Amino acid sequence: MTDALLGVVIAVPVLASVVPLIASFWRDKIGWYVALIALSVNAFIVASIVRGFLNEGRLSHEVGGVSVPYGIELALDGLSVPILVLVALVSLGTLVYTRNAGPRSNSFYSGYLLLTAGLIGVTVTGDVFNLYVFIEITGLTAYALIASGDDGRSAYAALKYLIAGTVGASLYLIGIAYAFVATGTLNMADLSARLAEVGHSDTLVLTSFAFVVAGLGVKVALFPLHTWQPDAYSSAPYGVAAYVSALVSTVSAYALGRLVLTVYTPEFLVSNPVVSSALVYFGALSIVAGSVLAVLQTDVRRLLAYSSVSQFGLVVVAFGIANPTSVFGGVVTLFGHAVVKGSLFFAAGIFAYRLGVTRLDEYEGLARKMPYTGAAFAVLALTLVGVPPAVGFVGKWYVALGAVRAGETSVAVVIFASTLLTLMYVARLVDRMYYGAAGTGTSETAVADGGTGGVCVTYGMVALVVLAAIAVVVLGPVASAVQETLALGEVLGT
Amino acid sequence: MTGIAESLLTQYYHVVFVLLLGIGVYTMIDAKNLVKKIIGLNVFQVSVFLFLVSSGYLEGAEPAIVKDGGGPYVNPLPHVLILTAIVVGVSLTALALALVVRVYQEYGTLDEEHLQEVMSDD
Amino acid sequence: MTEVESLRPLAAVVVSAVAIFGILAAHRRPNIREAVTLVAAGAKFAIVASMLPGVLDGTVYVTRLGEVVAGVPFVLRADALGLLFALLASFLWIPTSLYSIGYMRGLDEGNQTRYFAAFAGSLSATMGIAFASNLVVLFVFYELLTVATYPLVAHDEDEEARAAGRKYLTYTFGGGVAVLAGTVLVFWVTGTVSFAAGGIEGLTTETSTNVARLAFLLLAGGFSVKAAVMPLHSWLPDAMVAPTPVSGLLHAVAVVKSGAFGVARVVLDVFGPEAVAEIGTGLPLAVLAVFTFIAASIIALRKDNLKRRLAYSTIAQLSYIVMGLALLTPTALVGGLLHIPAHAFMKLTLFFCAGAIHVETHTDDISKMAGIGKRMPLTMSAFGVASLGMAGIPLLAGFVSKWYLLVGSFDAGHAVFAFALLLSGVLNIAYFWPIVYQAFFETREESDEKPLVDAELGGHWGKVPDHYTPRVPVADGGDADGEDEHSDHGADGYWADAGWRGGETSPFVLVPILGVCACAVALGIAPATVYFLRVVRLIVENVTGVVV
Repeated sequence: MTDALLGVVIAVPVLASVVPLIASFWRDKIGWYVALIALSVNAFIVASIVRGFLNEGRLSHEVGGVSVPYGIELALDGLSVPILVLVALVSLGTLVYTRNAGPRSNSFYSGYLLLTAGLIGVTVTGDVFNLYVFIEITGLTAYALIASGDDGRSAYAALKYLIAGTVGASLYLIGIAYAFVATGTLNMADLSARLAEVGHSDTLVLTSFAFVVAGLGVKVALFPLHTWQPDAYSSAPYGVAAYVSALVSTVSAYALGRLVLTVYTPEFLVSNPVVSSALVYFGALSIVAGSVLAVLQTDVRRLLAYSSVSQFGLVVVAFGIANPTSVFGGVVTLFGHAVVKGSLFFAAGIFAYRLGVTRLDEYEGLARKMPYTGAAFAVLALTLVGVPPAVGFVGKWYVALGAVRAGETSVAVVIFASTLLTLMYVARLVDRMYYGAAGTGTSETAVADGGTGGVCVTYGMVALVVLAAIAVVVLGPVASAVQETLALGEVLGT
Repeated sequence: MTGIAESLLTQYYHVVFVLLLGIGVYTMIDAKNLVKKIIGLNVFQVSVFLFLVSSGYLEGAEPAIVKDGGGPYVNPLPHVLILTAIVVGVSLTALALALVVRVYQEYGTLDEEHLQEVMSDD
Repeated sequence: MTEVESLRPLAAVVVSAVAIFGILAAHRRPNIREAVTLVAAGAKFAIVASMLPGVLDGTVYVTRLGEVVAGVPFVLRADALGLLFALLASFLWIPTSLYSIGYMRGLDEGNQTRYFAAFAGSLSATMGIAFASNLVVLFVFYELLTVATYPLVAHDEDEEARAAGRKYLTYTFGGGVAVLAGTVLVFWVTGTVSFAAGGIEGLTTETSTNVARLAFLLLAGGFSVKAAVMPLHSWLPDAMVAPTPVSGLLHAVAVVKSGAFGVARVVLDVFGPEAVAEIGTGLPLAVLAVFTFIAASIIALRKDNLKRRLAYSTIAQLSYIVMGLALLTPTALVGGLLHIPAHAFMKLTLFFCAGAIHVETHTDDISKMAGIGKRMPLTMSAFGVASLGMAGIPLLAGFVSKWYLLVGSFDAGHAVFAFALLLSGVLNIAYFWPIVYQAFFETREESDEKPLVDAELGGHWGKVPDHYTPRVPVADGGDADGEDEHSDHGADGYWADAGWRGGETSPFVLVPILGVCACAVALGIAPATVYFLRVVRLIVENVTGVVV
């Protein structure tokens, strides 16, 4: 029974997304309420699904009763459970934020619900082509939402994202086309068995892997495929930027992990040491390049975007090493990063709406004017650095331990060094916020016209950010407790 | 050498796929006009469709409508996949063009270089 | 060793964390805010002291709190070594808080709430470091200590303070990264990171020597950053821009001591003296320590700013501890460990004196302090006593630890270390004695030249001036920067006479100075009676089985 819920949890937001559009004939601004109801229902369904997972282990559902491998399978295992929970929570949290901050139009919330549906679809699907479809759904809606900002810049950034994202998704499609040509099946579990039969060193298999990784790499925004990200994040409205940064790349990284680890499996990486090294070094390059580029930024949102490049590099390294310890570290980092990055964008939005500050040099002395948001911002930023006991440290620990266990010493060095690299830009931010000379004049003028876009910052928005800051600190020790339940060893087949 | 030449000549679908892929990517990168970039994107996507569809082809096979005594059938799955992908491509093109219209309304130009200038003046 | 489940280790950590909220809440009522700090300090010391009799008997107090990461329990454990550090830190928080009150109010500093709250947080983290039962918990609190002390270092908020704060963050987080790397290595090799007296089983046997050496290098190196061993020391002199009680905290109470404590844990409880001897990393560390204290002492000779001179003195003295630990013989271990509290008391006295001088006369440079003994006799006496202790004169704390270090060096078979120690003692006198001498026996007009401080490096080429003019401020009673109200110079450039009754500065400042100085004397006269030597002997006995 619980497995049927896997289908329901996608269907609810899709169906709900139609309602605001229809209702706009009678009433404007009803979108938020529809989204709230739909996503709350979804949250309950996710809770039941998780309970089902805890009882039964891996869940699987065949859509329409058509048996695997001809039909589409929806599946949930230890790798996807945290991501599903993450999507459910963040979608509700962003809703709270966009009540005051974001665009309130009906079409916005239709898009929002469709985006959520797409994200959940990517998480629960067990079919590689279905994954492509959901990735494109996610992408389409993300492009539309990013373009919902007020000025033309957001439209242009969305267009660039569209072109880059479509190229990425198409490369992924070519990849699974090669895999299909090699094996004749599209179901993930079946594909993994057939690929092993064809032979992991076969040219077709290698080609498909390359295209898949390249395509998903664009979506995850790894260096050097990340160029769409800074513009997209800095032109979108803050609520959208938070949602996209928290979830879209995260879910794409999850998809990358799902394919590399369960379809191609760690045996593939073992049979092709060059490929495995390339993947890991690719990730390590992102870690370094992302941090270095982040230090050079003057706009806070662009800084946060490059910071994401760095963090996703760590996740890709974790997946590339492919032992249960590092994969768990990767999942913890994904989860933690999503919450942290989303909340950082929320906080940046609060600063922009209240004080009109968007650039790093305008952040001088900010923490004095807005102490709670400033403190939450500092805690979240320090979590990125890896200050214990918060979730960033826990993720890093497992990934580093996994790297050392796998004998990848140079990668372990990069992982440890990433603390210092992240510190480079976080320290500047925190230092400026707390010790800068306050009030350089921009704040006065901004307050006079009510901040950016006339949005009034509510206690709810600040409370959300503070709650997130507390959550990431608490999540650290909690994460280790979850390790057993996820049973990643089974997922990896080791 | 003969092996490659032979396979290139017999699998000319593959060759065309690669050519179209290259043309699409080149257009996306090189064209200054935004609409041309979208055209390039479409060409790129079409190349992928071509690849998948042609992969299901069997020489001497019949269309995938089952009848009694029917011979080998062409695999219908790639066709189905491509139908979905075409729909996705259409929606993407529609969205992209809508964004282009918006950009044009705001900035009055569709040339990439002019746009950079105008936006940095903002 | 019997383990007793108790909430006291946790209580010791938490009491000042809770106090942070009290301090923040009382930000408008300074007296209540200060009272919260003092009550928390008293309570913390009481909790820690209550565990002392049990620990001396062989009991270990344990609080278990789940897991940090898989395979690593979050346990706070009050054993002998942890209690040594905790006792020292919690005891010294009391006079430091009193002194902070006098200092901050005397200078009318801003952001006092943030200051006291960050202080309380730092002490919480310090207790966590002391009572950590494994490397990961130690790392957690180590990083939290960095985060808590950063607002203190950058307190003044001017460019210099912020730069010092950033440097501090970079160095200490860098050290933290090395510690984390070493911890992961240890966990990978042995499957555990919990401290075990005498070393974790199998750390050197289950892996190649080079891996063990790498782990030692990372761990000891990472902790040595905070312990200001050269060449990783340069954050410490720059951090002197912080208010003096913060410098006291950094040098004596918490930060550098936590680095030294970390090295102690690594040598005693992670590797164990035998293992360190096996992999041969003890001697290089000892040599590095010797280089540090000789070099730092020589650099200190040239520093005119009193606090910087004290900073280099700390760098030197901390390396006594590291050297003692690195020499590995039981006597040397006792010497190194005993120097932790000994140096703490003496250095804190010196810093308090420097701060008192700053508050009362706004003088920071030694060359301007001629004759200040008249103005601040009690302070300078305490300074004199403490500096004698630093040099290792008997009847003072520094002598006891130095004695054990000397015997330990001979025990280890390397007499050269003993000679280096003696040389360093001479250098100590060389850079402290002029301060004391000129304070009491000279006046502004009649001060001797200070070639070490004033002369150019490399000497003069060409004509040497006939008459050497010492650095004298404008002799019309006020300094060029117009600090008339605060500098008590008479019209002829003499300090105003303050007599020996204690009127020279606020009691909040004076009482801690004299109190801590008295402790240094007490530790020198009867080190076992004041418990520290007993605890140290117990630690070494647990680790090596030898009773010193």
